[in-house]
Amino acid sequence: MRRLALVPLYAALVTFAVLTLIPFAWMLTSSLKSQHDFFTSFFLPRGDGFLGVAWDRLTLVNFRRLFSEFPLGRAMLNSFFLASVTSSLATLACAMGGYGLAKFNFRGRTALTWLVLGALIVPGSLLIAPGYQLLWQFGLLNSYAGLILPALAPAFGVFLFRQAMLNTVPNELLESARIDGAGEFRIFFTIVIPLVRPMIGAFLMITFLGAWNNFIGPQIVLHQPEVLPLSVTINNLRGLYATDYGLIMSGTLVSIAPVMCLFLLLQREFISGLTSGAVKG
Amino acid sequence: MSRSTPPLASRGPRASAPPFPRWAPWAFTAPFLILFLLFTLWPLAQSLLLSFQQTFGPKSTAFVGWSNFRFLLHDPLFWQALRNTALYTVGAVFVQLPVALGLALLLNHPAVRGRAIFRLIFFAPSLVGLVFVGIMFAQIFQKRTGLLNAGLHALLPSWDPEFAWLDEHVMPSLLLASVWLYAGFNMIYFLAALQNVNRELLDAAQLDGAGPWARFRHIVLPEIRPVAAFVVLLSVIGSFQLFELPWVLLDNSAGPANRGLTVVMYLYQTGFLVGDLGYASAIGWLLGLLLVGAAIAQMRLNRREEN
Amino acid sequence: MSSPRPFTFLSPGAWLIVGLAVVSSLAYLAWPVPSRPGRDFWFFSPPNEQHYRAILEKWNAAHPHDRVNLVQIHYQALERRLVAAFTSDTPVADLVETESLMMSRAFAGRLEDVGFVDLTDRLHREGLWEKINEPSFSLWTTRGRTFGLPHDVHPCLLGYRADLVEAAGIDVAQIETWDDFRRLLGPLIRDLDGDGRPDRYLLNFWENNRDLVKVLLLQAGGDVFDAQERVSFDTAINARTLASLVSWVAGPRRFCVDARDFTAGGDQMRIEGTVLASILPDWQAGTWKSNLGPLSGKVKLMRLPAWERGGLRTSVWGGTAIGVTKAAPDPEKSWAMAKHLYLSPQVAESLYRSTYIISPVKAHWQLPCYREPDPFFSGQPVGALYIAEAPHVPRRIASPYMTLAMERLMSVLVALKAHALARNTFDAASLLPEAPRRLAEAQADLAAHIARNVLYAAAPAP
Repeated sequence: MRRLALVPLYAALVTFAVLTLIPFAWMLTSSLKSQHDFFTSFFLPRGDGFLGVAWDRLTLVNFRRLFSEFPLGRAMLNSFFLASVTSSLATLACAMGGYGLAKFNFRGRTALTWLVLGALIVPGSLLIAPGYQLLWQFGLLNSYAGLILPALAPAFGVFLFRQAMLNTVPNELLESARIDGAGEFRIFFTIVIPLVRPMIGAFLMITFLGAWNNFIGPQIVLHQPEVLPLSVTINNLRGLYATDYGLIMSGTLVSIAPVMCLFLLLQREFISGLTSGAVKG
Repeated sequence: MSRSTPPLASRGPRASAPPFPRWAPWAFTAPFLILFLLFTLWPLAQSLLLSFQQTFGPKSTAFVGWSNFRFLLHDPLFWQALRNTALYTVGAVFVQLPVALGLALLLNHPAVRGRAIFRLIFFAPSLVGLVFVGIMFAQIFQKRTGLLNAGLHALLPSWDPEFAWLDEHVMPSLLLASVWLYAGFNMIYFLAALQNVNRELLDAAQLDGAGPWARFRHIVLPEIRPVAAFVVLLSVIGSFQLFELPWVLLDNSAGPANRGLTVVMYLYQTGFLVGDLGYASAIGWLLGLLLVGAAIAQMRLNRREEN
Repeated sequence: MSSPRPFTFLSPGAWLIVGLAVVSSLAYLAWPVPSRPGRDFWFFSPPNEQHYRAILEKWNAAHPHDRVNLVQIHYQALERRLVAAFTSDTPVADLVETESLMMSRAFAGRLEDVGFVDLTDRLHREGLWEKINEPSFSLWTTRGRTFGLPHDVHPCLLGYRADLVEAAGIDVAQIETWDDFRRLLGPLIRDLDGDGRPDRYLLNFWENNRDLVKVLLLQAGGDVFDAQERVSFDTAINARTLASLVSWVAGPRRFCVDARDFTAGGDQMRIEGTVLASILPDWQAGTWKSNLGPLSGKVKLMRLPAWERGGLRTSVWGGTAIGVTKAAPDPEKSWAMAKHLYLSPQVAESLYRSTYIISPVKAHWQLPCYREPDPFFSGQPVGALYIAEAPHVPRRIASPYMTLAMERLMSVLVALKAHALARNTFDAASLLPEAPRRLAEAQADLAAHIARNVLYAAAPAP
């Protein structure tokens, strides 16, 4: 009886899974087709082969072109650099900030907390123009610092870490450590950080993903083609008058692969981390 | 340093616990604060100034006082954008979130195998960049040959294969795309919340004879309420800032008759396409004020419901 | 207090990311990016790179101390950088190849504040005004001053499925107006699979296509601004044209279908013959050649059917030009480079061979490459056909409010179509009373927007 009740459950899950995967299937099959086949068939090219599919027309040429015509190596290095450095430093800054706001009772704390909350609401587009001018005034245009520095202090991150600290770091632990005479930073790195490991993993993943897929910011700040990350170079394949679909598909696949692997590794703590910041605090 | 310490209780009055040094909180919040001041607050202040100016002409800005805001309040395009954005937000909260919750409920069933795979599949859309989303959904929503129209026409011959998803029914198309994109992400929040629901309560209710719907309404829902409220808040804030998804779906435009115009899109258009950064800043500030009002209202509502 | 076990500090995944940061930083330091001194030339259209690269490499080899760097920037990023540069002095290249919208945005304030150098006097002094197709300057001119050197002309012809049309025995020489087009080719609209819906249409067009509406409006002699760059929607020509367009896409005499360019679906429709003809500017003809291989030898070009007998049989779509920014330290040198790039017959020929785009320089029109018969278009001399229309292309207005104006015009068209659907009458005559009313509304709305701009003043009436 119980076994039967599972059938509709699995049916629903599988249906949704298939619906979710259709675009990915499209991406995969498109990357294996020539430009001509791309325009004449949605998934696999029709033909005389097994199941009515022209298997012989599937080709790896798009991937080969990706590695030869396209500065894949350099672009990937740029992407890895930007994403990993941004996420590492941002996580550190937000963890410290969240810790400061959550675990210390000091004058100005409420005001600061409200400031951070208010910043959550600011539409990013409002800051583009003045932000760009600021970067220019500091001489940070056409440099990675100009991209990384503004991204190191997202209000969202401080908010999440504050919640996580409030929920998972008991004050008694901190007090006893202070009684033992431990320095503040030692307390932070040896006690607090391990306690919020899940949130750290989650936030690293989120900021890595954001920086990896960001393609408007780098285009505006970086002025040389060699320093552009993968997201931009792939977007540029989408020209005004013509589009190289094959390269875009294979390029997108290649650019998803690293973040997919990261997600697989960080899956469990991503989930527990996100929710440690979501429970009311 | 591994001196054994006596338990807290026997250590005497609290006054013996050293307070944290005065510089500590500031040292920890400093990196964030400095960057926040520089890259968020300062440009924000600039934009406030800008909102009282006109910057059409290159290099020439003129101070116009409240004129931007006055025009904004009578600007039919702004109100249309606000309407579209509000509609989308309502849709996101009442369609996308229930889908996410539903998926989480399905996945949370104890007898489900392969949970990790399903989780990955549902989360995968969040990993893709918006460039790909734009190209792909343009394909899916196309008239006649798009996947949706072709598929629906094959299933129901009476379905008009020229159903103009992105020309006439922009909001529903956007909602569909956003469900695909974001339901998985929100599902993760709900999953974790569901896993924290007290199993004993559920088992007791089941023994008492409560059906699945009653169990859901009276036990599960209240227990996941905090997470749900958080997710709703995030959703509302994110929905009000909607810009890149419709921009990319409608091929860098607001769609026919501005059906896909959202507030932030209008901000972008006025600021960067027309060149009036002043008016754009006014739009942004008005949006900010509205959101703050909405947030305060939601907090009051929450507090009242708790009491 | 015991120290924690090492490496439980962070999770494996987190260590991976931090590790990546360290490794990539080291790799980045070890693999530095070459710096490029010299002047920058920004452009946005990737296919153009191949044409300029050859000529610039030669230049850079001959002038190692005066290098010019070719930098391709995505259209949107270029837009933003230009806006930023013109409002706040952020860095900008000496030479920028712009599209029409980008340039007209620079016209949004006072004439003396335009971020590009005024080329009018140079153009007249050096005789370029006569040497280049004169209507092609209109898109880069405001208040009588010109700020760009045009890259192209972009006249429009009609590309059609000659195989299907000739098989039906129809002689396209008989087609002079759009009415002829609908009348003579109408019998080809057929329901081929018996589902009650036609599977063959005559023309690629739909009412939400802003570009095509503009093309057709210009052909009819209409526009959204008058010659003095003032808003001017409410004209008889605009009303008549919009009213007619409704019957093209809706109602019993509909003959148009949405076969969107640059999409797999649209191309499929072209290949299968679901749509018979499209309005083709020269660059679109080039796209057909590269994307629609199966149509080789099956398509031909003809002049656009006119709106009325004896009327204009071409139009214009798109445009690119090169501008010298005022930030350029040596405008004369930059101007010389601009001419070097744009007046070169080698670049013109190379451009034509890869994209069918014809040069605006009249002297180039004698190049033999334009007259070569092209197998894709059934042996027609594609370049010569476009060149024949070049002197007749309609003039266009470059207004910073063009985008807003076109948006409002499109809203009028959408409203007209809804009106027709509600009343179930689609012919132009019955829609004629409604059209002017809505056009006037749209005009007043936009005029209010423009009047707000205290810095912009369109040229006063003579």
